[in-house]
Amino acid sequence: MASLPDVFRVLNDMKSEGVISDYALGGAMAVLFYAEPTRTYDLDVFVVLPRSDQPIVTLTPVYAWLRARGFEPRAEHVMIHGVPVQLIPAYNELVESAITAARNHDYDDVPVRVSPPEHLIAIALQAGGGKRRERAYQLLETADIDRELLDRLLHRYGIQPPWSGDE
Amino acid sequence: MSSRSSPIDDLFRAKAEWHRRQARLPLKEKVRILLELQRQDHPLLKRHRHLEWWEEPWPVEP
Repeated sequence: MASLPDVFRVLNDMKSEGVISDYALGGAMAVLFYAEPTRTYDLDVFVVLPRSDQPIVTLTPVYAWLRARGFEPRAEHVMIHGVPVQLIPAYNELVESAITAARNHDYDDVPVRVSPPEHLIAIALQAGGGKRRERAYQLLETADIDRELLDRLLHRYGIQPPWSGDE
Repeated sequence: MSSRSSPIDDLFRAKAEWHRRQARLPLKEKVRILLELQRQDHPLLKRHRHLEWWEEPWPVEP
């Protein structure tokens, strides 16, 4: 049976082979690196694609690379060793910044890049919704958060924190 | 004003501390818990709503 590090190895291979320029885990799996585990059934991965002359951002070359290795894309996910992975091209400056600032974690001797917790909070609040807000609070309450960095991110990207009236 | 905390306060403090302890678990243990949650919750979720095709427990080891 495959293991989660096998999935991370595929992400690292995509980067080392230049299929993507960089990546960082996002979503609930990224939160797990800093806070308590919560249930999720997919793995969000923010990616930076190599520069291209194409006017439209496309994951086609990435999917082709994965398909050649037996990992079949289906709708918005790719099954990598049975784990549904959603590759999300960096869609704004905040997500780009999360990838640039990603922390290199070690999982069973496999390196894995994970969005910093402060970025995860900012991304969750920017995207909105109850579940994401809950994720932001979860990180705030149980992870080691650099509040100055978080405040800078929220200010820079014009994100109004829901707790601004709490304190 | 009394400085003694109520049983409810104690309960919330204990709960908060439990969450903090969970957050400090080794990564591999947290992934093991995640995989367990996926398995436990799946039949319950399935009973309550339509699940997407990819909403299945992961067939991987931690």
